[in-house]
Amino acid sequence: MKDILTSIKRTPYQSLGSFMILFFTLFLSLFFFTMTSFFYGVLSYVETRPQVIAYFNVDSKEKDILQIKTNIEKTGKTTSVNYVSQKNALKIYKELNKDNPLLLEMVSENILPASIEVFAKKPIYLKEIAEFLKHQKNIDEVNYQKDIVDRLVILTTILRRVSIGILAFLILISIIVLLTTAAFKISVKREEIEVLQLIGASQGYVRKPFILEGLFFGFTSGTTAFLIFYGLFAYFNPFLSSYLSGIPRLSFYNLTGYNLYVFPPSLEYIIFSYLITVIFGMFIGFIGNHLATSKYIK
Amino acid sequence: MIIFDEVTKKYSSGTTALDNVTFQINDNEFLFLVGPSGAGKTTILRMILRQIIPTSGSIIIDNVDITNKKFKDTQKLRRSTGVVFQDFKILFDKNVFENIAIALKIINSPKNTIKNEVEEVLGLVSLSDKKLMFPIQLSAGELQRVAIARAIVGNRNTIIADEPTGNLDPKTTWEIMKIFKKLEESRTIIIATHNVDIVNSFKKRVITLKDGGIVGDKRSGKYEL
Repeated sequence: MKDILTSIKRTPYQSLGSFMILFFTLFLSLFFFTMTSFFYGVLSYVETRPQVIAYFNVDSKEKDILQIKTNIEKTGKTTSVNYVSQKNALKIYKELNKDNPLLLEMVSENILPASIEVFAKKPIYLKEIAEFLKHQKNIDEVNYQKDIVDRLVILTTILRRVSIGILAFLILISIIVLLTTAAFKISVKREEIEVLQLIGASQGYVRKPFILEGLFFGFTSGTTAFLIFYGLFAYFNPFLSSYLSGIPRLSFYNLTGYNLYVFPPSLEYIIFSYLITVIFGMFIGFIGNHLATSKYIK
Repeated sequence: MIIFDEVTKKYSSGTTALDNVTFQINDNEFLFLVGPSGAGKTTILRMILRQIIPTSGSIIIDNVDITNKKFKDTQKLRRSTGVVFQDFKILFDKNVFENIAIALKIINSPKNTIKNEVEEVLGLVSLSDKKLMFPIQLSAGELQRVAIARAIVGNRNTIIADEPTGNLDPKTTWEIMKIFKKLEESRTIIIATHNVDIVNSFKKRVITLKDGGIVGDKRSGKYEL
């Protein structure tokens, strides 16, 4: 540790450069990692929602609605069809708005429509099912979520590809900067390295301080990136929570067994993010300095 | 035992640093290498450390041919050879104790051993009271004593010194040479020097080099050119 701090003191600007590029890379890595995880969670959530919902006029008879439900099921294009009565609709409404008494007061069972929720066997059936429902008696409105799912799939794919592209570029830049900085530090310590080699130090012994310094930069910049990212997250959390209030807990790539929730983030997910960021930072630091020592210490 | 057998070193520029040099140094022998600048003294020392590989011929140290391409024990070879330079090559961000201890750290000696051995050699070079000082606080003579201490710590059986008194005043030069004298009973000592007074007063073996070749090799020799 003492040697690492001495080296940083000897070459402060180069050390700051290494730290900053690593910090920038890791901060953006954490940002993209969280965003892709979040959108994947949203996509998974949307996919679990009914894909076609048909709302009936409030004066529709339950018998007629159930007949339509049966007709839809008979097409063989659905995996399940749920009937939500006006009574159940009110129950759901009350649950969703339990924190807002004013909204609860304004609504009664009579003004909420009954509906049927349809899950299709294949996405290509969605339009057909929606068209079928639109032409039924007593139908007020038909919503289907193909567009939303499609857009989320496209958004998640683009985000993932852009993240990979940007991160690959940043990782390359980081490694080049670390390599150059380490090469400079090696030249500063050239005489010391020569002495060590002449008295019989192994390659590993000579290279160790540089490798440890790379790991140190990876650790400190990873920790700083994590603290700043979650600091900003905590600052914006009230706004985000209110904006995304309708969305339930989003699991990390459907790994529910480990209590890893992207939003709102669980403690396990925060620890997981920290470990990923720091390990990734230390890996980049190791690679950069390992390449430099392999090339410049013979 | 160190054997140079018909060793030649030619550089790609055409310069011949050593030309068909043959000699043998016995264990615990005290030897001076003398000659004008460019005669090949430093080349011989660097070859013993395997910093330079001969163009032809062989160098055998303790029955091992270190010029053989299959030789992989350069670190082991250097760990058995202490080296002292004219410009000391002391690490300026480490104190006296740490500068000496580094020679033991590289071979993973236990902390207790390092402490005891460093204290012992500090006594030998009369620097016990300055072990926590940094190089910038020391005189040239003291710096060279630190370098000698680093060269002898860890049971190194050969000490090579390249102009060890080149940067020192006459009084300090003799103090340093007294230390080498103390070491000769248990180690092979090879000193490359221009100092006529020292060579003549020590009455030890002298190998005289000129233009890369040996022009004289005498027991109890003198500086003759």
